[in-house]
Amino acid sequence: MSIFKQGLAALAAGAFSIALAQPAAAEPVKFDFWFGLSGDLARVVDTLCKNFNASQADYEVVCTSQGNYDATLQNTIAAFRAGKQPAVVQVYDVGTATMMLSGAYKPADKLMEENGYKIDYADYFPGIARYYATSKGEMLSFPFNSSTPLMYWNKDAFAKIGKTEAPKTWEDVGADLKALKDAGYECPMAINISANESWQLMEQFSALHNQPIATKNNGYDGLDARLEVNKTKFVQYVTDLKKWYDAGLIKIKSKDLGQDMVQSFATGTCQVIMTSVGDHGTVGKTQKEGMNWDVAELPVYAGTERKNSLVGGASLWVLSGKSDAEYKGAAAFLNFIHDPKTALFWSTNTGYIPVTKSGFEYMKSTGFYDKAPYKGRETAIASLTASEPTEITRGIRLGNFTQIRAEFGTQMQAIFANKVSVQEGLDTLVKNGDAILERFQQTYPGKTLP
Amino acid sequence: MVERTPFLNFFTHVILFAGFVFCIAPFVIVTIAASHNLKDVNDVPMSLLPGNDFWVNIKTAWVTANLGPKLLNSFIMATGVAAGKVIISALTAFSIVYFRYPGRTFIFWLIFVTLMLPLEVRIVPTYAVVANVLEPFQTIMDLTGLSWLVEKVSGVHVALNLGMLNSYPGLILPLIATATGTFLYRQFFLTVPDELTEAARMDGAGPLRFFIDILLPLSRNNMAALGTIMFLWAWNQYLWPLLITTDQSHATAVTELKQLIPNVGGAPEWHIAMAGTLIIMLPPLVVVVLMQRWFVRGLIATEK
Amino acid sequence: MEKRVTFSRWTIGILFAVPQLLLIFTFFYWPAGQAVYWSLTLQQPWGGGNIWVGLDNFRSILSNADYWNSISASLIFAGISTGLAMFIALVLAALTDRQLAGSRFYRVVLIWPYGIAAPALALAFRFILAPEAGFMAVVNQVWPGFWDPGLDGADAMASIIVAFSWKYVGYNFIFFLAAFQAIPRSLIEAAAMDGSGVIRRFWDIQFPLITPTIFFLLVINITESFQDSFGIVDIMTSGGPANATNLMVYKIYSDGFKGLDYSGAAAQSIILMLLIIVLTIFQFRFIERRVHYR
Repeated sequence: MSIFKQGLAALAAGAFSIALAQPAAAEPVKFDFWFGLSGDLARVVDTLCKNFNASQADYEVVCTSQGNYDATLQNTIAAFRAGKQPAVVQVYDVGTATMMLSGAYKPADKLMEENGYKIDYADYFPGIARYYATSKGEMLSFPFNSSTPLMYWNKDAFAKIGKTEAPKTWEDVGADLKALKDAGYECPMAINISANESWQLMEQFSALHNQPIATKNNGYDGLDARLEVNKTKFVQYVTDLKKWYDAGLIKIKSKDLGQDMVQSFATGTCQVIMTSVGDHGTVGKTQKEGMNWDVAELPVYAGTERKNSLVGGASLWVLSGKSDAEYKGAAAFLNFIHDPKTALFWSTNTGYIPVTKSGFEYMKSTGFYDKAPYKGRETAIASLTASEPTEITRGIRLGNFTQIRAEFGTQMQAIFANKVSVQEGLDTLVKNGDAILERFQQTYPGKTLP
Repeated sequence: MVERTPFLNFFTHVILFAGFVFCIAPFVIVTIAASHNLKDVNDVPMSLLPGNDFWVNIKTAWVTANLGPKLLNSFIMATGVAAGKVIISALTAFSIVYFRYPGRTFIFWLIFVTLMLPLEVRIVPTYAVVANVLEPFQTIMDLTGLSWLVEKVSGVHVALNLGMLNSYPGLILPLIATATGTFLYRQFFLTVPDELTEAARMDGAGPLRFFIDILLPLSRNNMAALGTIMFLWAWNQYLWPLLITTDQSHATAVTELKQLIPNVGGAPEWHIAMAGTLIIMLPPLVVVVLMQRWFVRGLIATEK
Repeated sequence: MEKRVTFSRWTIGILFAVPQLLLIFTFFYWPAGQAVYWSLTLQQPWGGGNIWVGLDNFRSILSNADYWNSISASLIFAGISTGLAMFIALVLAALTDRQLAGSRFYRVVLIWPYGIAAPALALAFRFILAPEAGFMAVVNQVWPGFWDPGLDGADAMASIIVAFSWKYVGYNFIFFLAAFQAIPRSLIEAAAMDGSGVIRRFWDIQFPLITPTIFFLLVINITESFQDSFGIVDIMTSGGPANATNLMVYKIYSDGFKGLDYSGAAAQSIILMLLIIVLTIFQFRFIERRVHYR
């Protein structure tokens, strides 16, 4: 710090009025929280922030939606480079590796310890904790909104073909879709094949079947991990989906075409979809009057020993370079989020699941899962805790995974448009994905994941 | 011309009318779609008879996308760019045309080259510069040892930092940093009779007086043309504001269009999206219609 | 061309140029130089370090099939949309120049599209061309699966070409009409006296006289198709499906800002800059007459 610098800062403030007003002594310490949810979910976050601000007088969190996860990470990096980063930021699951190597964060567990909060990290569901923890089990960020995908199925339609239960294996799914088609349903099942559907189609499928996405235990054991989805059971899965698509059993629904997948299910156009439990609320709110539907765990191929599904969603990172006062506020905020009562509020108003065992128990004890609109959401917990996480079903720890997802979308589109065969498409996915991983590794020479 | 070409005339009218329909149809469809309700707008085929919900949709779009402040931001940015361009280009052209100094040709070419590379292709580093506008100067001082010198002499450590992300200058200045207007003025200044300059000098007027009292009033037409074209150009900018406004309080109307695309999980609310599109496309359209003469003139003069 | 009478205090003269020079140094030359530096290094996205890699970035880009796909998509887009926009505008301008009844009206209306922001017209066309709502849905009802820009790359490419051409018909129209009107009436009237018909006169007199404009517009349209396409692609297709509309500027944006690969994006910028410089030089060498005053 220098007089010169201060002088310039003053000049800057005067000329462009970009400096923030200094809070007066009596006022609460303000700190920024950027998140990537929009629409209804953003409104719930805003309420959450208000509740936090009302719960104490020392700190005030300023919550800003950045529209979506990609933009949040992108804008945070931009702001960080310009020295204007928020104190707390929501980063999606697959950004974890990128964050870990950024050198731009303050470890969440250290922050809590320094500020005198005791968090029982064993209380987190292991499937959730291990996605975000280091190899030594330290929590660098706090799980926030967590979800896992489920199969949504239309009970009325299935009743027509004499079924009262959702199919449990992909073999059954094939037969049921055929029956639905024969019963006159135009769109037995809807899928989407855009970049983000990598989560449902590739990542969750691989976890449930205990199939690796990349070597080195999905990247947990080193930056030299490379993709291998072109030689796992995933190939057969894509082949089947494509076969069903060609037979008219599956339709592609995306907002690029008009109606998106969730909407197509809620309006009764399509009878089966796979999507996040986070959409449970949306379907309930927008469903066609009187439609009977339910959720089930995602199917697996016959003879597979089902493993836990992966957590999706995002965690909260505390960024470096902020003042102690802001860190105190950030710690208080994370502690507030961690509270079971907050978990109840959060899950009630969104479709997200509680991230801790105590939160889940607390919600069960209030009878949350017995009542009509929320009934079924416990299936997500069952899916997440179907097994102890294996080396492979802990999660995915790959650099620049956003770009790999984009590549996934590209290749799936090429496959479904008959531009390439399934194997060719997946081979290209692996080839291009590996180039991305190699580049990431080169960018951080000599660094290892914590 | 007194020529009888009935068949060709008929043909001319038909083609021109088709061209007219081609140009106007999107406007009409957008307006009609903006007047429907959710069900009607998704009807196949959509009815071409306007619905009753026009003002409701306009209001919804206005509120959801928070268009009031966004339009204001667009207006500030476009006006800033237009004004900045009109003034700075005039100054530069004056310098190049009315003075002889060493390196003048070099400066001329320095400015001319900027015509070639639009902002879009150098977007990544420009973004980095705007994050800290003084970074170039800091680097130069560091490299030349100047900051070391200053630190030794005065004990002051030089750390220049001026971030312009999420600010009006950050939106405006990089868009001004091209040569578009300079050559328009240069061309015009060259046509100003030398007698005027001589007379002014005889009266004892310095360069500044001459510039303000004589040259600028003569350039009014050029200013109007350049201003119109720059206003439109800046209003329609998309990539640049999209990148540097992470804070909604500085976002512009055009970048807000993306928020209007029907959302994942939401209903296909095309009527709202079209109402928003209509609001956002209206201001430049009004400028084109009202300022047609300057628009055409500016376009031909700046880009020729 | 030079001024005979000038002011003698040239130090003041330089001062007049200083604001412009400062701006272009800070926002043009420095970033352009940075782009070169970044393209030769690997930048960590969060800042805090970079490694010198020489020409590796260029090598990896040029050996990447996706990049060549992006170049060919850009060229296809530039070629077709430029051809379409210029042809339609040329016909409309030539006919408007005949000055039949109503030509004043057309002169006003036909330039409106150019005033619209590319993303705004893109959203309009996205609705008009949406396969499940809007107008192409009608076609899809008659021939199911005919129009599918979400999956069929050619359909998506067609969508962005239509949107871009629509805007640039207005732009080209302005220039063509100006060029036609600059042709002396007497020339055409003299030809008419000699008994040559309207179409004959067009080919013999008008068309040769507007060829410089055609060349000029060709270059401008191609350059604009590289730049102004960003908003259209971003709103309509996001570069998909299967990279079919991943044009060069969009790829720079998505690799750099979405993929956090600043170095790769910088290298792509350099290549695009070179491409545009070549085009501009072409413009100078072949169409010098149009830029005489520079």
